[in-house]
Amino acid sequence: MAFAVTRLGLRGRLLAGFALVAVPPILVLGFASAALLARSSRDAARVRLEAALGSAEAELARRRQAAGEEAERVLSDDLPQAENPEDPLVVAKVIAQERRLEVLEVLDAEGKVISSHHWPAGFGLPDRDAVFPGQDAFRIETAVQDYGGAERLAVTAARRGRWRGQDVLVRAGWFVDADFAAELSALMGLELALRDQAHGRWIARAGAPLRGWGDPALDAARPGQVSLGGETYRWAARPVVPGLWLVAALPGATLDAVAADIRRLSVALAAATLVLALVGAVLLSGRIARPVRELADGARRVAAGDLDAAVTVATGDEIGQLATSFNAMTADLRDSRERLLQAERVAAWREMARRLAHELKNPLFPIQLSIETLRRVLDQEQRGEAVSGPRFAALFRESSETIIEELGSLRKIIDEFSQFARMPRPRPAPTDVNALVEHTIALHRARADGVLVETELAAGLPPANVDRDLLARALGNLVANALEAMPEGGTLRVRTATEPPGVSVQVEDTGPGLDEEQRTRLFTPYYTTKRGGTGLGLAIVQGIVSDHGGRVQVKSEPGRTTFTLLLPAATP
Amino acid sequence: MRGHRRAGTAGALLAALALAAMARAALGPRYGGDLAVAALSLPAALDPAAPRGSGEALLALLVHERLLRLDTEGEPRAALVRDWFGAAGGREWVLRLEPHARFHDGHPVTAEDARRSLRRFLRSPSPAAARLADTLEGGAAFRARRTEELAGLVASGAEVVLRFLEPVAVPLAPLAAPSAAVLSAGGSGAGPFVPTARVSARRLALTAFGAHVRGRPLLDRVTVVAIPRADELEVELQTRRVSLVVGAGAWGAPASTLLLVFDPSRPPFDDAALRATAADALSRSDLAERVLPGAAPPAGLLPRHLWPPSSAHAEAAHARGAVPATPITLAVSSEVPPLVSQRLIAYLDNLGFRAGAVATTPDRALDAAAHARLLTWSPEVPEPELALRELAALAPDVPGVAAALAAAAREPDVSRRRSYLGEAEKALRASGVLVPLAAVPAAAQARANLHGVTTDRAGRLVLEDAWLSP
Repeated sequence: MAFAVTRLGLRGRLLAGFALVAVPPILVLGFASAALLARSSRDAARVRLEAALGSAEAELARRRQAAGEEAERVLSDDLPQAENPEDPLVVAKVIAQERRLEVLEVLDAEGKVISSHHWPAGFGLPDRDAVFPGQDAFRIETAVQDYGGAERLAVTAARRGRWRGQDVLVRAGWFVDADFAAELSALMGLELALRDQAHGRWIARAGAPLRGWGDPALDAARPGQVSLGGETYRWAARPVVPGLWLVAALPGATLDAVAADIRRLSVALAAATLVLALVGAVLLSGRIARPVRELADGARRVAAGDLDAAVTVATGDEIGQLATSFNAMTADLRDSRERLLQAERVAAWREMARRLAHELKNPLFPIQLSIETLRRVLDQEQRGEAVSGPRFAALFRESSETIIEELGSLRKIIDEFSQFARMPRPRPAPTDVNALVEHTIALHRARADGVLVETELAAGLPPANVDRDLLARALGNLVANALEAMPEGGTLRVRTATEPPGVSVQVEDTGPGLDEEQRTRLFTPYYTTKRGGTGLGLAIVQGIVSDHGGRVQVKSEPGRTTFTLLLPAATP
Repeated sequence: MRGHRRAGTAGALLAALALAAMARAALGPRYGGDLAVAALSLPAALDPAAPRGSGEALLALLVHERLLRLDTEGEPRAALVRDWFGAAGGREWVLRLEPHARFHDGHPVTAEDARRSLRRFLRSPSPAAARLADTLEGGAAFRARRTEELAGLVASGAEVVLRFLEPVAVPLAPLAAPSAAVLSAGGSGAGPFVPTARVSARRLALTAFGAHVRGRPLLDRVTVVAIPRADELEVELQTRRVSLVVGAGAWGAPASTLLLVFDPSRPPFDDAALRATAADALSRSDLAERVLPGAAPPAGLLPRHLWPPSSAHAEAAHARGAVPATPITLAVSSEVPPLVSQRLIAYLDNLGFRAGAVATTPDRALDAAAHARLLTWSPEVPEPELALRELAALAPDVPGVAAALAAAAREPDVSRRRSYLGEAEKALRASGVLVPLAAVPAAAQARANLHGVTTDRAGRLVLEDAWLSP
């Protein structure tokens, strides 16, 4: 893991950090919210069921009270003014319609029906409808249904009085039936019904699932759950009168749907938060990492020698200050390099002047001596100091030969300087280095008297992206130097190898080796340890390799010196 | 003052318009007009059959024609026959066909058509057919499908000859049964209207038949629409979508009997005492006076105009005792007003029964599986003996009824015949299976612009002379 983290970039580490910081709290928050909401949902269901029962109970009480008031008004106001009181089919019907009563009947003192609105066919016959024990407000009234009658639960109130000279009882009220249950169910958004335990029947809206609950064990203190029609319902019940219960039920699907909605919402919020955090992290880490990466790129370019590298900084924070410092540093480096280059150029010119003066002075001195010798002989002869002819001829020949030889040295010096000055710009192309090495060895094998030449050429060496002629010249210089370093014989080994991202060529000799000063000044132009050397051979080698973007390394110890050329590979 | 003058002018104008309209109506019958009728149900087919419901009865009289019909006094009147006469001491009757009578398909009505139709009639479930078959030569064997020979029915030229085993009373009355209608070989009727279009089971259109034996009816067309609920029938009339409803309301004098029919084949009404208890507990006067507008306490099983009031029946006011609380089912014909069945249930409930009502169509009221049935009954043939035979079929195996009816059929003396019929009726009532609750008029209502609608002796509506005023 540590390895993986270390392999991540700064931005990756920042993102990982964001994720580690953001995800656990979000997950914990999501799960905690879901659990809390589920619990709240259960509690809310219980509260809702109780509230529904309370509302229904209040509605029943309100109807009971209103029924009493209506019965009183019927007795005091309506019956005395009733038109056509002889017709039992009219009296109760007209009054009930006027007062919007569903149940209205007038009974005589013997309990016979004088007139009934809900069961007009019962006139003249005893009222045989049942009441719930101990509570005559809830009655099972026979009411008209199609061609017959049906028993329907009603909430009623009765008042006694006198009408047309006889004692009468007026009973008024409304049905508590499927319509009542449907109305309250729709109003409260749940299933509300009445259970008549005495008769084993439900008073519920048509199609209500509670109708399928066969033998409910109702307990006001213990609400519960029941599975009806493949769905689970939470229910609560409350007795209205003995044997008659109000039952409220809430489908689990509704609660589950609410809980599922909440869960989905929580997950969505958590996911959205996570996405936002990640997006923020990506943006923020990018904002943080980009200047750092630019700084790193800039440093790499500076390390590669590009002192023009600059970092664009748009922030004023620590990263911005670092980038400003970096830019200032590169600017200083550029100035220093310019100054160094100028100094080096001056020093080079001085060195070149010194070397040129030195190289030119060496042949001039013998020439001067030869010419002075010839003039002295000529002056002796003019003074009459005769010089023998053979001696003069010998002097003349010796002096002229010396002059010609030194003039040849001067020409050679001038040619080498001219050649160094005219070093062409390389034209790189994919080049088989092994073949080039073999070609170079072949050219110099004739000069390798007493030297064992060995080659170790790597198989499958990739082509190098070099100028073949220039690299041949560099290799030739190295091979020549190696052979010259072993005048008494030795071993010359040339190796090639794949050295990512390019190839390498090693030229190793078994000469005396180089001391510290020689290694330091090895590539300095015109520095040579050899008599007659110009000191430009290795400088030319370094120049060629540098111009190809490569490097020259040298290792030396007594009895072994190795030059290694690191060359770029050709791009496939 | 000017206001009074204007009001007076407007009143005079309205009065003139009203008088004009009344005058046009008072001008009398007029040809033309499309009559829309709503009935509780339409028959599945227009084949002649004993109609059970008022809608079916209406259509039977619109589409089909019989050889004879009975007038309001119960006397035979010519329909497809021009005249008839008896021979062989009353054992043979010759009916001569009206030469201009035509079927709806244009073919003339022949004696062979009549013979073929009566053979079909004799094998129908009609009680009138049974009575005719019992008295015709070879009729019983033919009805029982023991033979195809029927010596008692002969077609000769333009005459149809009926030969009876012995002289019988009212020999031609069965021919007035709707199911005795005469059809052509192709199945066409000869009634005053031609069925022209039928849309599913809900709507039937009929067009006036110009060649009807009694002349073209006044109306051009009659459209009958089925409305299955009685309360909706009245709505149809009130909203003027129809001019006549059949199956709700009261039309004319009581011509039918509100009949409670117990099922004596199963408990609890297999107990004659219990039937009597239930029957006696019902107050006929309450029904007639308060529940059924236009009804009257029943004179007996038969409508009053068919049969003199029976002295045997008196309203029983006292229940004979408590009955066990037994759940029973009451099948109620949809032509019976709901309040009537509810009143009956209230009585039964008061007795201790727990009765539930099941509504049925009129044609199925007698066949419904129930402990008791409540229906409006009128005889297929409005003749006392045939009507009692019809009732006897509803209460089979009542001792003495068959013998009394057979004696009545053979008895030419009117007084003695009535005596036999009285015995049969008394025996039927004593069985307690058939309980007359009220004498009720035909269940129909019409708008004021419909005139000329009459009822026959069985209380069936007749539109043959009906006409619409503008």
